[in-house]
Amino acid sequence: MIKIPRMKIFDSMARSNSYLVGLSLFLLLVFIAFVGNWFGFNLWISNSKFYSQILDSHFIDYISIIIIVIPIIGAIIELVYGDKSIKHRDKSVIYMGFLTLIIVVMIYPVILHRTLELHIPGVFSLGLNLRIDMLGYAVLLLSAFIWFFVMIYAHEYMTKEKKSTRFFFFLSLTYSAVIGAIISGDLLMMFIFFEIMTITSYMLVIHGQNDQSYKAGYNYIIMGLIGGFLILTAIILLYFNIGDLRFESAIEKLEELGNLKYWIMGLLVFGFGIKAGMAPVHVWLPRAHPVAPTPASALLSGVMIKVGAFGIIRAASSYYFPSKDVITSINDPLWSAASHIGAIIIWTGIITMALGVFLALQQANIKKMLAYHSISQMGYIVTGIGVALYLGYEGAMGLTGAMYHIINHALFKSLLFMIAGVIYYHTKELDMYKLGGLWKKLPFTTFTFAVAALGISGIPLFNGYVSKTILHHGIVEAYEMGNHLFFYAELMFIVVSAGTVCSFIKMFYYVFLRKTTNEYKTMVFDYSSLDIAMWSMGLIIILIGLFPSFILKSLIIPILNLTNYDSYFIEHQILHLNVFKSEDLLMTLMIVGIGIIIFFVGKKFNLFHLHLPKWLSIEYLVFFPAYLFMRNLCRLMYGDRCPTDKDDYAKLSEKDVEKIGFIDRFVITSNVFNRKYEQSIIRSDALIYTFFITLILVFMLVKKHLL
Amino acid sequence: MNIEQLPIINLLLFLLMALVIPLLKRRPFKLTLILGFIVLGFVFVSSGYLLWYVNNIDIIHYTFGGHEARFGIEFIIDPFSALFTTIIAGLATIIYIYSSGDATEGIEKTEYGRYYVLLFILLMSMFGILYTNDLFNTYVFIEILSITTCAIISIKKKKDTYTAAFRYVMMNELGSLSYLFGVALIYMATGFTNITLIGETMQNAYALYPVNIIIALSFMIIGLGIKAAIFPFHIWLPDAHSAAPSTSSAILSAIVIKVYILVFVKVLFRVFNIDILNEMNISTILLVLAGVGMIMGSVFAIAQKDVKRMLGYSSVAQMGYILLGVGLLSFDGLRAAFFHILSHGLMKTALFLSVGEIIYYKKTRKVNDFDGMGFIMPVAMGVFSIAALGMIGIPLTSGFISKLNLGLAVLDHNQVIFLVILIISSLLNVIYYLPIIILAFLKNEKYRYRMKSIEDTPRTMIAPLILLGVLIIILGLFPNQVMILIEAAVNSIMS
Amino acid sequence: MLILEKIIDNINYIGAVALFVIGLRIVVTHSNLIKRIMGINIMGTGVFLFFVAIGNVTGGIPPIINNNQINPVYINPIPSVLILTGIVVVVSITVYSLSLVIRIYENYNTIDQTELSKLMSEEDNEH
Repeated sequence: MIKIPRMKIFDSMARSNSYLVGLSLFLLLVFIAFVGNWFGFNLWISNSKFYSQILDSHFIDYISIIIIVIPIIGAIIELVYGDKSIKHRDKSVIYMGFLTLIIVVMIYPVILHRTLELHIPGVFSLGLNLRIDMLGYAVLLLSAFIWFFVMIYAHEYMTKEKKSTRFFFFLSLTYSAVIGAIISGDLLMMFIFFEIMTITSYMLVIHGQNDQSYKAGYNYIIMGLIGGFLILTAIILLYFNIGDLRFESAIEKLEELGNLKYWIMGLLVFGFGIKAGMAPVHVWLPRAHPVAPTPASALLSGVMIKVGAFGIIRAASSYYFPSKDVITSINDPLWSAASHIGAIIIWTGIITMALGVFLALQQANIKKMLAYHSISQMGYIVTGIGVALYLGYEGAMGLTGAMYHIINHALFKSLLFMIAGVIYYHTKELDMYKLGGLWKKLPFTTFTFAVAALGISGIPLFNGYVSKTILHHGIVEAYEMGNHLFFYAELMFIVVSAGTVCSFIKMFYYVFLRKTTNEYKTMVFDYSSLDIAMWSMGLIIILIGLFPSFILKSLIIPILNLTNYDSYFIEHQILHLNVFKSEDLLMTLMIVGIGIIIFFVGKKFNLFHLHLPKWLSIEYLVFFPAYLFMRNLCRLMYGDRCPTDKDDYAKLSEKDVEKIGFIDRFVITSNVFNRKYEQSIIRSDALIYTFFITLILVFMLVKKHLL
Repeated sequence: MNIEQLPIINLLLFLLMALVIPLLKRRPFKLTLILGFIVLGFVFVSSGYLLWYVNNIDIIHYTFGGHEARFGIEFIIDPFSALFTTIIAGLATIIYIYSSGDATEGIEKTEYGRYYVLLFILLMSMFGILYTNDLFNTYVFIEILSITTCAIISIKKKKDTYTAAFRYVMMNELGSLSYLFGVALIYMATGFTNITLIGETMQNAYALYPVNIIIALSFMIIGLGIKAAIFPFHIWLPDAHSAAPSTSSAILSAIVIKVYILVFVKVLFRVFNIDILNEMNISTILLVLAGVGMIMGSVFAIAQKDVKRMLGYSSVAQMGYILLGVGLLSFDGLRAAFFHILSHGLMKTALFLSVGEIIYYKKTRKVNDFDGMGFIMPVAMGVFSIAALGMIGIPLTSGFISKLNLGLAVLDHNQVIFLVILIISSLLNVIYYLPIIILAFLKNEKYRYRMKSIEDTPRTMIAPLILLGVLIIILGLFPNQVMILIEAAVNSIMS
Repeated sequence: MLILEKIIDNINYIGAVALFVIGLRIVVTHSNLIKRIMGINIMGTGVFLFFVAIGNVTGGIPPIINNNQINPVYINPIPSVLILTGIVVVVSITVYSLSLVIRIYENYNTIDQTELSKLMSEEDNEH
């Protein structure tokens, strides 16, 4: 019998926050009631005069701007209160988040009815384009819920951190940028909000302000900006060749471009993929997550990397899909571009998920492990996107799986990070081999962890199972209808799922179950807004697991209806999808079995402590030629009298990329280059003049005479 | 008063102001400052009015002394020259206000008057260069500009300023002589120095004396390239920038080198016409120079320890961008280049002025000493960050719009490789600008507790900085309004 | 012979270009600052000579209206007029750079380019 100590309420806002969470759950209930048409609720709203007035008014189009602006207002109010009144400061942020949530939930009937579009010309040279359609709305709703819960959580969590004013300020700005990126109406707007998101979330990542977080943050922002530049290149290419950046079908014009269309999509996939944590450009992710404060990593993993995946879906499903009135069958040649791209994306996704899970198994740091799982789960999503593209007309299953998994992963991964945060909050420890026996002290947390872990492992009756099954169906379809090589993809899918199961058994065992000498006697058992936020998320996870068709009906089918997938297929395969078929359940059983076997084998032979040599990281391998070149450049320029300091040379030959990154090496090399050439160029002023005048004269005169 | 005389009055006012300053030596210096501000304000307003006038009513031709254009000197005020004189007057006013706030760093008090004399002559010659429609007259103004620039560089009585100024003189004299040689060859082939008249006879002249024209063009490219600090000829620039006082670095980097590239544009499009240029394949040469400059300027900038030198090299890279736009020899290219001239002008001014404030108060110009600077001087570092993000090309700043336009222009010319170079160059910008921002705002918070004494700077220094920051963002948000003026300028230069 | 004739016809231009090249060579090869200034001067003279030579018309007379002449062939006066301005400009540049050289000598005790840069890089290293 466990003795539950008396609860203490430390935080003055715990009660009001609990009410807020309760209200948000009520909102959710209203939403469910509307979708399920309980007591004729749906009809009542649809027929009401108020609703029809809203539909007709122009005001409703401006709602998209309003929901972008609300968090900014919250940020400003928050800055005004600053450190003067922590209570008011946090309230401003939380209430603004709640307001956004209310608006987002309320506009569901409108969005279902029509797409909200807003165009303000004259800004940003192409005009401000915003639009909320079902695809954007699904992600928007998800973000609004998760952001709200995380803000409630953050209020409590950040009391132990310094400079929380700054944190909340940038948290709100990031929120606004995320909303903007989701509801933008063209690629340029999306890119603009994406860049703002990169910069503002950088401030969240480096919040700890120690050497490690600077390093991780620098990595994060450089990679984010590189991704931005890739997208920018794609934008310029697209705009030049198509003349329009709105998210509409452009495949007929793209077809004329030959290979360039693959380049454009490649740039977009990599540009967004950097944010989405796709291999091989995921390297920032496992570094940024452990150093960022927990609310930030929960949001990074829960929402921001989804925006990357959303970007890929958005760009691919609009530009590369034929428009609805043109296409009637799978055999249309207009699908071929999407199909080729899809095949590559599937394999990238498979590699991403395998790599993520493989590296996750070796981690000792909880947050790092979760970060690698984020990569792995993003691999699932990317695979789903790949299937959606690869199968073309029949690819609805892939898109369903991807969208569903985006929703599910956002829920359980942010919950898992929040749990990691709670563990850290109480114990100041993140190494799972040093923790143990926490279930006695944190029974509720243990329970929520179990829910989230069952979710991510894909156990029936929890949400992960639904989307993983759908994704599995998608892959099976890919190899049945397309190339049989995707059979290996399915195989990898099973192995990775087993790895995930094993990984969470491992974490559960080491952190919560295992008996240790350290009993955490001083730990106080209290009730706070931390728990309420986490419980509600756990509740949603279970709800989705129990009623898998709800999300399909409310969010995903409307998305599919807007795309030009085979409506027969949607009607028969997805609307009446039963995920609890015996073969799927058997498959899950097998996966869990393999997972348990891996866990015991790994524990017995100590395989989890196996570490790869430092040079075998992807970053080192990819940049190896560049590193080699940089190391030897000095010798090339000076011969044996290379004046570089020993220090620099040692840095250049360092094998551990975590210590010295590509950029650092580049800076050192450019210093060497500068030392050699800057002064000598400056000294030979007239010589350069003579040389170039001769060169140009010769060039032009010779050319003239040859012609 | 006749509107035709307004441009001349602008020039005369500058000249008069330069003359009056020494006479006011015994009066309080404030009087000079106020008078100078009135002059600049008047010129700004009148160039703005001229800009409106030429865009909406008619182009102004003015010949001196009533001589016919082929003998005398002709001024043309068209959308092109009116636009850029307005930009110059605006930027100069901002810099002037800033410099009046006691920020003419390192100049002895007795030299203040001299500094402003030089400044007004400098402005006069730049206006002259833009207004005039005569190649030889341009040469004379260019020389005036060179000498005054050089004097401003060496106004601080320090050792290294002399060598920097000497290097500047040598390089620029080579440039001027090359330009003059080009003018001579053109005169030899056509018999005119008036740009319009040359333009009309150029086709004939090229058919008759192709070698003359080719050599002339080569010399002019190199000559103006030296002055505009195009990459391999940028040699004089880093030293000159680090030696000069911050305000004059701002003028040099943001305005003076742009004027030379504008002369270059005039020479290319009005003296020679596009057909001849295409036949000579000038585009290739210019694009290669631009591409190399965009990369190498940034690579050298990365290695700099002195922040002003770094900004100087950054200017070299940015001149590459502008030259890229010009070198495409197309409407879109010129449009992007002109926009970048404006946006880089704003951003570089903001960078130099904010750095100038930091140098003035903290007496440091090493990049590594910038840690925690964001807490002591939030306005200066804030504006620095906005401008630096603009240089990188982050959306919401004007730098992004210029990159977007440049990218589109490059594609229009089917030169995808330059799009790649553009992106790589932006990345290099990230490498040297971003660490400074991070250093200033996030590292070393020991100054955080001294925040009571923050930014104890005169309002005349803060206000222009804030104005610049706001302008950069406004230009990034609403580029279309300015774009109309720029397109008019491009049309007038290409017709 | 044709070539020789051509050379003689264009002797003024060739002379001008020769002066330009000589000046350039001095600027490139010499490290003495004063010599470099002189090099620039020689280059300038070359350009001016070229300019003036354009205005020359074989057998022409100075463009002063004189009623005694029948069908006079005047030489073109404009280049000479222009070059007057040019000469003034180059003189002022020369004066300015010479004064700079004096200042440099006062500060560094040398007017040799290579020594100068050596001194300057030593100073840089001390900082």
